[in-house]
Amino acid sequence: MKHPTRRRLGALVSAIMLTTGLAACSIQIESAPDPSIPKDTMLVAADNGSPLFERNFNPYMTNKRTAAFYMYEPLVVLDNVTGEEHPWLATGYALPDPSTVVFTIRDGVKWSDGKPFTPKDVAFSFDLLKKYPTFDLQGIWTYIDTVETSDTTVTVHLKAPDVPAAQLIATTLIVPEHIWKDVPDPSTFRNPDPVGTGPYTLGNFAAQQYTIDKNPTYWQADKVAAEHIILPATNTQLDVATKGYDWAYSFISDVDGAWVGAGNKNTYWFPPGGTVALFPNLTKAPFNDLNVRQGLSLALDRKAVGDSAAEGYMDVAGQTNILLPYQQSLLDPSIPDSGLVTQNQQKALEYFAQAGYTQQGGKLVDASGTQLSFTITTANGYNDWLKGVQEVQKQWGAIGIDVKVSSPQPAAYQLALRNGEYDLAMGGTGGTGSIFRDFNSLLSSDYLKPVGQEATNNFERYSNPEADDLLAQYKLAVDPEKQKQLGYQLQNVVYNDLPILSLYYGGSWGLMSDAKFTGWPSAADPYASPKTYESTPLLVLTHLKKVNDD
Amino acid sequence: MTSVTIAPGSADISAAPRITGSGKGRAWAYVARKAGLLLLTLWAAITLNFILPRLMPGSPADAALAKLAQNGPVSDATKAAIEAQLGVPTGNILEQYVAYLHQVVTLDFGVSYTFYPQSVSELVSTALPYTLVLVGVVTIIAFVLGTLLGVLAAWKRGTWLDTLPTLAGSFASAFPYFWTALLLLFFAGYVGRLFPTSGAYGPTASPQFTLGFLGDAIYHAALPALTILITSLGSWILGMRNTMISTIGDDYVTFAEANGLKPRTVALRYAARNAILPNLTSFGLALGGVVGGSILVERVFGYPGIGYLLFNAVTNQDYPLMQALFLMITVSVLIANFLVDILYGVLDPRTRR
Amino acid sequence: MSTQSIPPSTRAVRAIEEASIAPAPSPLKVVLRVASTVWSNGKARIGIIILGLMILIAVFAPLLAPYGARQNGFDRSADASAAHWLGTTAAGEDVLSQLIWGAQISIFVGLVAGLLSTVIAVLVGLSWGYVRGFGADVINFIVNLFLVIPGLPLMIVIAAYLSGGGIGMIIVVVVITGWAWGARVLRSQTQSLRSRDFVTAAVFSGERPFRIVFREILPNMTSLIVGNFFGAATAAILAEAGLEYLGLGDTTVVSWGTMLFWAQNSNALLTGQWALLFAPGLCIALLATSLTLINFGVDGISNPRLREGSKR
Repeated sequence: MKHPTRRRLGALVSAIMLTTGLAACSIQIESAPDPSIPKDTMLVAADNGSPLFERNFNPYMTNKRTAAFYMYEPLVVLDNVTGEEHPWLATGYALPDPSTVVFTIRDGVKWSDGKPFTPKDVAFSFDLLKKYPTFDLQGIWTYIDTVETSDTTVTVHLKAPDVPAAQLIATTLIVPEHIWKDVPDPSTFRNPDPVGTGPYTLGNFAAQQYTIDKNPTYWQADKVAAEHIILPATNTQLDVATKGYDWAYSFISDVDGAWVGAGNKNTYWFPPGGTVALFPNLTKAPFNDLNVRQGLSLALDRKAVGDSAAEGYMDVAGQTNILLPYQQSLLDPSIPDSGLVTQNQQKALEYFAQAGYTQQGGKLVDASGTQLSFTITTANGYNDWLKGVQEVQKQWGAIGIDVKVSSPQPAAYQLALRNGEYDLAMGGTGGTGSIFRDFNSLLSSDYLKPVGQEATNNFERYSNPEADDLLAQYKLAVDPEKQKQLGYQLQNVVYNDLPILSLYYGGSWGLMSDAKFTGWPSAADPYASPKTYESTPLLVLTHLKKVNDD
Repeated sequence: MTSVTIAPGSADISAAPRITGSGKGRAWAYVARKAGLLLLTLWAAITLNFILPRLMPGSPADAALAKLAQNGPVSDATKAAIEAQLGVPTGNILEQYVAYLHQVVTLDFGVSYTFYPQSVSELVSTALPYTLVLVGVVTIIAFVLGTLLGVLAAWKRGTWLDTLPTLAGSFASAFPYFWTALLLLFFAGYVGRLFPTSGAYGPTASPQFTLGFLGDAIYHAALPALTILITSLGSWILGMRNTMISTIGDDYVTFAEANGLKPRTVALRYAARNAILPNLTSFGLALGGVVGGSILVERVFGYPGIGYLLFNAVTNQDYPLMQALFLMITVSVLIANFLVDILYGVLDPRTRR
Repeated sequence: MSTQSIPPSTRAVRAIEEASIAPAPSPLKVVLRVASTVWSNGKARIGIIILGLMILIAVFAPLLAPYGARQNGFDRSADASAAHWLGTTAAGEDVLSQLIWGAQISIFVGLVAGLLSTVIAVLVGLSWGYVRGFGADVINFIVNLFLVIPGLPLMIVIAAYLSGGGIGMIIVVVVITGWAWGARVLRSQTQSLRSRDFVTAAVFSGERPFRIVFREILPNMTSLIVGNFFGAATAAILAEAGLEYLGLGDTTVVSWGTMLFWAQNSNALLTGQWALLFAPGLCIALLATSLTLINFGVDGISNPRLREGSKR
């Protein structure tokens, strides 16, 4: 048996050599659209089955099909990248006083079954959310007292003065009263044959793929270019890159090589969709000391953290909770350098010294000689966060802090965050499109809960009467200029008091192809977020042009 | 659990069992004892299935919220709404346990948290056929093919018919399942474009009993099936080969040979027939494990079977779905185990002690 | 046990054959005999050579690896070049260095988890095989429970519960879900040995049960235990890879399993970095194969019929 042995060993060695050799050449993936998909049809990765689709188009359920967002419309579409409001089923709204909202309802809108859309439908939808609180995901009935209608308007009376609540209420999706009033139990209704006001209606539905067709009676039908949209249940990144998708929402590693390089006139736009930040637990020492937070902040090279997390595709975030550059107009111009904090280890050590920490033998120690040591909590599976945290660990390690990383499963991470049982935690903030909500959820002491009890927001447990006062004023401010000034002041609170340490922007990963349709949102024309879910796709779908139209 | 769950089972049986008669009463006592143990184990497994998901930190609502929170701040009311939508269990742990036992007895596990408002039975009945056919058929093919190759290897010992399958088999069964799956998917699916890359049937098709659909379904099952076959064939070959080699040396085989029977007759009629017994045990248990599907393979190929469902249930902390699936898998493995034990008791009375 | 395991029938055969061995041979002799029998098998020799090479690579990783495992800052997703033989990852790390450093974790987890589950299997299996009555029923019940609970989901649940525990957690998970099978096989063997003359003799000479089990019975099961160890180690290596691939391990540690996780996560196939996906998988397969091959030799220890070249 000796010789065969040697031969076999030889075969193994050559197999290894072959692997190494093959590794030298890489395979460029080409995008090849399915020729059976016509030019007027869009292939979109917006909805993922698990792995099959369930025929659920109830717009108030969390497990609905994504296309329900293209069938049911809100009164106002709020774009979260620019923070702009687009009048939709309402032509506008007014606040005669801070606790009354009057929506003027658009005339001439029809449901896809031909029945006219009326203010009654709006009032019915609001009532539905009251009757079935499980549908009220945004919690609009925490603000609404009563609703009344006229022929052209819907008037909402709020429980208390709250100007920003108007916007939240306006983004509720509206369903037809004439169909839903006869549904025996809406709370489990799967709405298999949706009737909406939106640009698309349901075409063929199968468990692995469905199509939606252009609604011929849509109130702005002339603006809708794509006749059909195909939504497959499985959209792996390999699928997206190889099968000629027109629109996808996904972070692809090496997007220039893997997506743009795949051909098919692929483009991408990754505008900021929120701020990824470190939440210090302000109930704990030493994080309750502003000097320590200043020291930690100044010791960070945020550019390196962002690059490491998002492969250099996302910008560093300023310490203002404002998404730049698309919300530039909302930024307080007096904040230096747009709120960007540059690394300065010298200054960081000065702050630490004020807090009682000094460097000794490469370690940052307190008066008793104990090294500053804490754990950063992040969620398992959120890989960009994890990579960012590892970079932070490296940078703080360099000035002598002992940083540990803990990455429990998402549910456990969420629980730790809500209960305040962490030292520092990664988290996302801002990016709702509403300045008030961005800051309210971050700073308001209304959300304050003792450690061990679940807080729904303000996880860092920040409490500052000045911030509370600003937020209270914001609720009363009908005047946009006044709102802007209050926004400036709130930014200054975040900038100066460091309730969180901003790191980098979380991206909205829009992948688009110019092969069949053009006019996608882009850095040059940032009219809407490139995301494929929620209501902003309505802005995109009514903005695209067919290529041969040009 | 994946396709080939080869438990040692009652592997302590002689390779050449002798079937002898014995008192009927003793036989029934044996069956009764085994059945009693089965029921006890079943209860313990059911209880464990109840406890396990609750050991995981965080609740199903936390899992759902963590997903939402990635897209931005979650509003105040959202958590309450989600909890209400999911029907996250209320009441103390004892009440939950009683409710759960009731569900087990009535086989009604209620509504899934992850796939609300779909019921657990709806989900399981959709996924089960795909897993049963894919994993079941492949397990049978792997067993038959592996056993035949194993017999051949033992019979033609030392020749290439022995060396090749044994070495290739042990190498292939050392591949991580998902890795084999990924490579097959990439090269046969994306580069070669020979096979579909996901799903159980064509994107626009819907399940029905026609020849066309069947062909489509087989075409879609090809790559996952190949993955399971490649990675599981080896252990069947090795198992059969080694028992067979031992049997060939047994006295009665030598005796048969000395009596002038043809080598092939000896190999197949005497040696192989007796050597197959321990492998049959493993086969029974492997079939019991089939309902668990193949998590990794189904995940890679986006195959809508039980494995995929189980993964979703576990990662989303979907208690009702997890409990139902765990129960289904445990029960079928237990029953397979029980049947194998009984079978052995019948075939080899020595084990009844 | 997660995915694959060694065929039970091999163990069964070993079990039968081993019963004929004389009582209590000296430990040194056993080791020498085991070593020489294993080495005399061609397949096992290949296995030992591969395993040896891998252990050497793991031990000398600091000397062999061109860069650190987590050292980044190179070009992202670069193709193979003179500076990076296997290219770089999406995070700008050197793939070859990760592969070399990763050997440490994978081998360590495999061997430690294999050893621990074997130890538990021996302790449980032997006492289970020796005691009778209620005690045996209780052990039987517990072992059965561990055998019927679906393995990979159980691992996922435990991993979620112990999350953040790193390598130690992976080992615990693999051991908890992997010991029961070996216990069952060893119990069968113990049962068949306890009725042998030498055990009966020991009982009559008044030896305590503990001593009988571990001094008289245990040495007669060397090959079974060694075989169980290699089987358990193989299973542990594959289980570790599976868990880490699903993202349930400590993704900050560089091992072959986490390399596959990151390869999948950054879609190495799409960016053309397929050495990143191919190489760790091949290494895992080679390591697991080497253990399986060694087991061919271990089979031959007690069962001369399975030795190579011996035609009956």
